[in-house]
Amino acid sequence: MSLSNLIKNWSSLRVKRPYQDQYKNADYKWGMVIDLDSCTGCNACTTACYAENNLPVVGKESFSKGQAMHWLRIERYWGEGTELAQFPDHGAQFLPMMCQQCESAPCEVVCPVGATHHTPDGLNSQVYNRCIGSRYCSANCPYKVRYFNWWQYPERAWPNPLEKQLNPDVTVRSKGVMEKCTFCVQRLTAAKNQARTDGRRVADGEVTTACAQACPTSAITFGNMADSQSQVAKIWARQQVELASDKQDKKDEGLRGYRIFEELRTYPSVLYLERVRNSDA
Amino acid sequence: MSGSNTIDRRDFLRVLGISGAAATLAGCGNTAIESGVEKVQSYVQPEDFVVPGVGVYYASTCAQCGSGCGVMGRVREGRILKLEGNTHSVISGGKICALGQAAVQVHYNPDRLTTPLMREGGELKPTTWDKAMATLTARLGGESTLKGAQIAFLTGEVSGHQKALIGNFLDSFNSTHHVVYDALSTATGQAASKAVLGAAQPLLQIDKATLILSFGNDFLGAGVSPVHMAAQYARFRKAPRGTLIQIEPRMTLTGANADRWYALKPGTEGVFALGLAHALLEHGQFAKTVPAPIVAALKEYDKETVSGITGVHADAIPHVAGMLMEHTPSLVLSGPSAEGQVNGAQNAAAILLLNVILGNAGKTLQGQASHPFPQLIASAGSYAALTQLNNSMASGQCQALLIAGSNPIFSAPGFLPFAKSMEKVPFKVALVTQVDETAAQCDLVLPLHSPLEAFGSHVSSYQPRGVEIGIQQPLMEGLYPDTRAFGDIVLDLLRQREPKNYKAFPDYYAYLKLAITKARPVFKSKLSDDDFWEDALRSGVLQLDAAPTALKTNASVVVVSKPEKHVIDVRYPFYFVPSVRADLRDGRHANLPWLQESPDSLTTIVWDSWVEIHPSTAAEMQIREGDILEVQSASGSVRAKAYLFPGLQPDTVSMPLGQGHTAYGRYANGMGVNPFKILNPLFDAQTGELATHATRVVIKKTGEHELMVKDEGATNLQQGRKLVATVAADQAELAKETSHVVE
Repeated sequence: MSLSNLIKNWSSLRVKRPYQDQYKNADYKWGMVIDLDSCTGCNACTTACYAENNLPVVGKESFSKGQAMHWLRIERYWGEGTELAQFPDHGAQFLPMMCQQCESAPCEVVCPVGATHHTPDGLNSQVYNRCIGSRYCSANCPYKVRYFNWWQYPERAWPNPLEKQLNPDVTVRSKGVMEKCTFCVQRLTAAKNQARTDGRRVADGEVTTACAQACPTSAITFGNMADSQSQVAKIWARQQVELASDKQDKKDEGLRGYRIFEELRTYPSVLYLERVRNSDA
Repeated sequence: MSGSNTIDRRDFLRVLGISGAAATLAGCGNTAIESGVEKVQSYVQPEDFVVPGVGVYYASTCAQCGSGCGVMGRVREGRILKLEGNTHSVISGGKICALGQAAVQVHYNPDRLTTPLMREGGELKPTTWDKAMATLTARLGGESTLKGAQIAFLTGEVSGHQKALIGNFLDSFNSTHHVVYDALSTATGQAASKAVLGAAQPLLQIDKATLILSFGNDFLGAGVSPVHMAAQYARFRKAPRGTLIQIEPRMTLTGANADRWYALKPGTEGVFALGLAHALLEHGQFAKTVPAPIVAALKEYDKETVSGITGVHADAIPHVAGMLMEHTPSLVLSGPSAEGQVNGAQNAAAILLLNVILGNAGKTLQGQASHPFPQLIASAGSYAALTQLNNSMASGQCQALLIAGSNPIFSAPGFLPFAKSMEKVPFKVALVTQVDETAAQCDLVLPLHSPLEAFGSHVSSYQPRGVEIGIQQPLMEGLYPDTRAFGDIVLDLLRQREPKNYKAFPDYYAYLKLAITKARPVFKSKLSDDDFWEDALRSGVLQLDAAPTALKTNASVVVVSKPEKHVIDVRYPFYFVPSVRADLRDGRHANLPWLQESPDSLTTIVWDSWVEIHPSTAAEMQIREGDILEVQSASGSVRAKAYLFPGLQPDTVSMPLGQGHTAYGRYANGMGVNPFKILNPLFDAQTGELATHATRVVIKKTGEHELMVKDEGATNLQQGRKLVATVAADQAELAKETSHVVE
């Protein structure tokens, strides 16, 4: 997208809200489901993300200043009120948190240079070589999942020969740019290209994110929501959560699906399934 | 491909250099290439399947812990980039843990040892392989007169044909001193399990249980085969959803996932279990499951007595007993916090007795299938083996010591003078990928291939279904010219000692290939030897269907003594519980930056050690997060920052193991402190194993304070935001959900 095109179509690109059946005729709309009852908080996904996406290890001092670059992190909460009177009687609460690939992303509208925008397949993209490091997007993100390169990490995060592990399919980001979870867009692109060459659509299960692939409890499901037969689309449908709605009108009871900060009308592409606890135990 | 202007397959292969002849193509074809006018040369002589820009996956086996998970390595342009789970592997089921991911950082570690080191004038100096092997040959080659206990081979958990080679090597000296040391050994628990259930490591059918009662067993974190257990756990949580109750002094990762978590005083697990046994046996249906003397002895384990000793509310006992009665089949597990006590085996036996009472054997507990190659199974490490070695060294008996995969100078308790005893051994050789504290004290240090560069085989001591032998193959060429495979070095020595038997094997690859293909009949394969080998490499695993065996339970071995309160030494008012992080384990992985920067699951702390203290205790002592505390036992003291942690019995403090390295590369050195060094010389009464969780300490404030480096924000609470929502099990319609857990 050229800059002139961007400016010309500013309003159409920026204020459009998601609408019903937006992706009905699209080939792809990437989405995710995370089952918090299966997630054990083991960190397999986060480490897989470091390996796949060339995330720099920043070291203790930078970490202490909040400069960690973990695109995917596990948040840990304790129960509130009476539950934490003395002990966490029902265990800890783990939340894998990464870019929610919002359909109406608060980060997109504030970028002064259009470095972050929405792709036709429903990803919130980050164009590194357009980013000027204003960090407005990070300030505006309610999930706090955007990470800024405060340092020239290529010079310090991979002392020889650690750099040989870097994934050639993923850019190594330099100082001054913002980055975040991409839903492993390099894998998606490769799969889409292959499918296009074969004259078909990417099949369900053909491509997945590094986190979902690693997860020992299969708590993460990833796929194409434009394909109504995909695992991920079926779970969204079963949980009666509408991508383009900000208030879910659920007909059935006992459904666990919810989106985080739905009330902010960000329309996330990540559906969480509630953690379950046996209260009789 | 019939068109005249296409290159045919034969020529294509020639062009790529595969058919060997690089001669110009003769002929009179229609293209410049075919007619020999132009010559196409390959892209820097590619190997098979190397296509620039295309990642290819090769199967191998993860060597990061003893589980033996099958992995797939993504290789591009000759470099290994990432590991994934191998779906062929029963153990990994196509999944992988954080530890496994970080295996590439063992391989590419900037602190890897790249040349042999030899001690000259008191210092380790780089040397050549010729000199290193000459020294090794002079001491341990064909001319060596060492025999029996004069030579010992110290390793961590090792299995497969590497283990067989070590055995053969020691055999050539008439020595049986293959010493396996694992600082996190579960020998006590295994002994109790063998006695009560008839199997040291029974198969846990987590997914078949409707209720799991775990006494500190961290099967999701640092337990045995955590990736396999996690997959089972995921199925356990699907409809009809199983319930997990965890009882332990310090919350483990598994405890963090429990439906109900109870804190109890360390070492009183057996008392609590006997309290449950007492409550259960009051119901006629269980009466005949245990011998009458035990039933009689249990009379003293009423709920008030048990509550007084364990510190758990008295109502919890009938409640948990009721849950156990309601939910069948159940599964009761014991773990390190129960077993690492002076009454550890007794605790574990009391816990496992519940399985006998509840009739879980044969339902959620079974015996592992019999293995066709028991000599290849990883042998269990023990503390007893290490003390024997220590005594042998201290007495001057041990003349030569080889060490691989074990770092006792770091991970042995401080009271064991291992380093001092080791000084008395005239010839000490370490085989390592990176120098650690123990290797730094050796006379010769040999640089090994990383597990991603070497051939090998792995046979885990926990075989979840049937039999699986993991094949490890190099995922790329050696990074450095001067590293060698472990198998090659041992085989080199064996060839000198027993030329007749080993001269047929030019290298470990040849040895392994022959060993595997010789096993072909066992796997009932109709393939040729070569195809069988190729197939094994391609799939990464050799598997055999074999049914689980029956367990022979024996309740009468459980000792029911009078319930007694702990006598508290007022000088050391706190219980000390060392916790095991699933990623750092006993500290062997502290050199991997991804794991150092990966926030600890429960505290979110990175790059450090810390002292966990219960918020109520901290309030009493006026301790804030970040206050530097001195934790002192009768055996030593360490200093670390305080972290207020609610998942802790209030009379207990806890510290994570794995940090505090002094000679293990840039990512490990100087990070935190080593709690192994303050453990007291206390041992399990039955097995003599180290009682890792029995030390008592005193906490002193130093008046110093430092910022805690951690990932969590200012609050641990959701404050009304719906971040992690929780629903009661009876409110969720799990049965109607689309399940996507792989079998």
